[in-house]
Amino acid sequence: MKDELTRREMLLGAGALLTLPAFPAWGRAAVTAPTARVSVGRCMSYGPEVVPTLATMFDQLGGLDRLVRGKTVAVKINMIGVRSQRLGTAPMEETFWTNPVVIGGVVHLLGKAGACRIRVVEGPWSSAETLEEVMYSMNWKPQDILSAADNVEFENTNYLGRGKTYSRLMVPGGGLIYPGYDLNHSYADCDVFVSLAKLKEHAATGVTLSMKNVYGSTPITIYGEGAGVDEPSIRPHGGRGGVFHFARRMPSKSAPQQIDMSLPKDAGYRIPRIVAELCSARPVHLAIIDGVKSATGAETNYGGRPQAAINPGVLIAGTNCVATDAVAMAVMGYDPMVVRGTAPFASSDSMLQLGESLGIGMREMSRNEVVGVPVSQVVFSYSAVRDKILAAAAKKA
Amino acid sequence: MALSTESNPMRWPAGPLEIALREKTKGFTAEKAEVLRNWLDPATLGILQGTPVNCLAVSWASGLAADADQQKALKPLIERGRQAGISFVGLIEGEANKPAALAAARAAGLSAVAMEGKAPADAGIPVIPRDAAAQMSWGAASRVLSISDGIWPGIPQDVNQAGGPTNLPWVDSNGAVLRIARAMAPGKGVWIEFDPPQQATALTADAYMLAVADPASYGARWVVSLDDGLRADLTAKKQPALDTWKKIAGMMAFFQEHKEASTYEAMGPLAVISNFAGDDWQRGEEAINLLPRIRQPFRVIARSRAAGASFDGLQAIYYLDPEAPSAALREKLIAFAKDGGILFVPSKWPNPEGPPAKAEPYLLFNVHTLGKGRLAVCKEEQPDVYDSVADIQNIISHRNDQLRLYNAPSMNFFYQTSAQGGKGVIQLLNYSRRPASDGPLFYVKQPHRLARLVSPELASPTELHWDPQEAGGSELSLPKISVYGAVELEN
Repeated sequence: MKDELTRREMLLGAGALLTLPAFPAWGRAAVTAPTARVSVGRCMSYGPEVVPTLATMFDQLGGLDRLVRGKTVAVKINMIGVRSQRLGTAPMEETFWTNPVVIGGVVHLLGKAGACRIRVVEGPWSSAETLEEVMYSMNWKPQDILSAADNVEFENTNYLGRGKTYSRLMVPGGGLIYPGYDLNHSYADCDVFVSLAKLKEHAATGVTLSMKNVYGSTPITIYGEGAGVDEPSIRPHGGRGGVFHFARRMPSKSAPQQIDMSLPKDAGYRIPRIVAELCSARPVHLAIIDGVKSATGAETNYGGRPQAAINPGVLIAGTNCVATDAVAMAVMGYDPMVVRGTAPFASSDSMLQLGESLGIGMREMSRNEVVGVPVSQVVFSYSAVRDKILAAAAKKA
Repeated sequence: MALSTESNPMRWPAGPLEIALREKTKGFTAEKAEVLRNWLDPATLGILQGTPVNCLAVSWASGLAADADQQKALKPLIERGRQAGISFVGLIEGEANKPAALAAARAAGLSAVAMEGKAPADAGIPVIPRDAAAQMSWGAASRVLSISDGIWPGIPQDVNQAGGPTNLPWVDSNGAVLRIARAMAPGKGVWIEFDPPQQATALTADAYMLAVADPASYGARWVVSLDDGLRADLTAKKQPALDTWKKIAGMMAFFQEHKEASTYEAMGPLAVISNFAGDDWQRGEEAINLLPRIRQPFRVIARSRAAGASFDGLQAIYYLDPEAPSAALREKLIAFAKDGGILFVPSKWPNPEGPPAKAEPYLLFNVHTLGKGRLAVCKEEQPDVYDSVADIQNIISHRNDQLRLYNAPSMNFFYQTSAQGGKGVIQLLNYSRRPASDGPLFYVKQPHRLARLVSPELASPTELHWDPQEAGGSELSLPKISVYGAVELEN
């Protein structure tokens, strides 16, 4: 893989981001990336404390009113992975998916702050089902979310959905893999975009937080393994791995195509760049990360990996996704400044670093303001859990 | 010994006709021929002692010169077997002289013969129809039918393991064919034939156990067929082969002990109605093959019986055949929809009733409002079967799921209840023959008084703990299962 890296990637990997005279666009972006405030809240369960904790955190960020009053808000939740595959007996909302109590709480507070319409969006794995149906199949009560505020609706963004056409969102500066993306209308028809993610690790990209959550906004009728060749397919089929992770095929020709066909076909190269691009093309106004309960090891249950259901007991929110994810990484016991080769980015580039290079935000902890509970009080080391599982397995063996 | 629907059949390849049939096939060796000769020895019947096998299927006539020698050579085996209470079924195949073969079968004291096509009226001996499922004469007089084109169950090794559009891996199962058989020929004994796959390595005992369990869980019987290596090793009384045979027999005995479940009826909110014949076979069989993979419980109703069938407890009916139903059946189906059900029909449904209703544009069905219910007319004449059943599930909704299965990607399940409804059983088959990393877990909407897991893999039944869910219903966490288990529910 290292042989395939360009000089630019090598320099980035060495952390020489700010000294890239040969790549002025990247250098400029890094210098001008905004700093931001990130709030951390302690929340040990999905009980009644969720809403007041979130309310306090949003107040610490300056209040939701100024962000959402009179606005249409899209909330991208996380329901990725094969839904029938739990981690042990723990339901998906306590391991890999955003918990419905947190979703309902956020929707409630958005409504209370004056949002005029709230659209909860997600592209569940390889499915055209409505989000209500997916929730029913998980024994959730979608009515609890729909009734948490006025004018709440769901949309499965794996396909055209209720839109007449796909919305093209271009990557400022031209992009790293793709110059732009064709997305479900919900991602363009909103004034405020919220990424409501889970505090978890990812098998290919190390972590999957508020930035990586946006990856699932891409319609699989265009970017899925069963996408149409020339035009988007009518129905969504398959995952995004064939197009995004490994470039085994290209998106439907109707969508913006890959900039350079010789780019590496390595998921650790491609996914972080696509994530950074998406967060640049579709800016996240509010990043919220559910770390009340989660899982270690990967974004879903792969079986056989050292994974465990965990209870970090934390909620994280910020108005900048790079800064929020940096704080989240610190909460997980990782240094947000690390690059490829160091955990959690053992075999992938840092999507935070790439986001920073695109001018989205800063990952350096000292450049952002952390409010609420100090990070030191809520650190929950994901790698320590993994080490414990591996040690137990070794002992058993 | 008379043949009955309770008979447990086994293929018993032995004798000169068997050798003649196989000697030109690839990989046939002198050693294999010797085993076929050895299995003529009545002493080999000893392996059946203490097992449920009580019926042997032997090659009887194939239109080859060896036919007469075969019938003669089998005589001692048949005599000894009959003394031991074993019945014999002669297989008449190919260009056999059927009148002569039938006469020889009667003279030899066979309990029945099995042959393709229509049975001769003057056979003078029970004739078991032995046909591919799509060609089966479901209404034949015989109390037993033998489906000749079963498949070795498991996860196919020669296709992409990533799985199909169902998100879950493909599985090879005889379940669809056997569900259809039960609907088309209620009350009859159904046998299904399939041979072990040719492979370089020996088949493991659990592969055979799944081969027994897959048909048996659907109330049918596999005509047990052992691979050459296992038969040779059994003849030589090698311990690993004896152990494998013991496990095969143990699985058969398990189903015999739990045969009450085979009288239960499959339950589900959806009924599939078809005549499952001619051009409609493939579509119907594939729909029924796919429904378990999308975890949609269902019942199968033969079109010929639908007008008299009960639709109680159904939320939806999928009338699958392009041919319109009889006036009486159509009236009944429309009444079902008007009363609140959802009726799915093919594109050729003439003059769809009711005004159009709002529906997701990607759906394969145009939905009409019909009384308290809906009529969903397929938009395409030859729709993709997977998309059809997926959309049927979307329109039915998961809202009222009675059962949901988690952590079991390589498993199929179906739910049956007793006639009075007091007892139920969830049959669970693992086609990977390996337990998943986490044990299977069922969500059950209506908790029962008792839930216990029975399995030949367990020393004794295990009572399961109900874990009530905040949103309603309960969950049952099961121990890991390699091949087969059944959750017995009682109220």
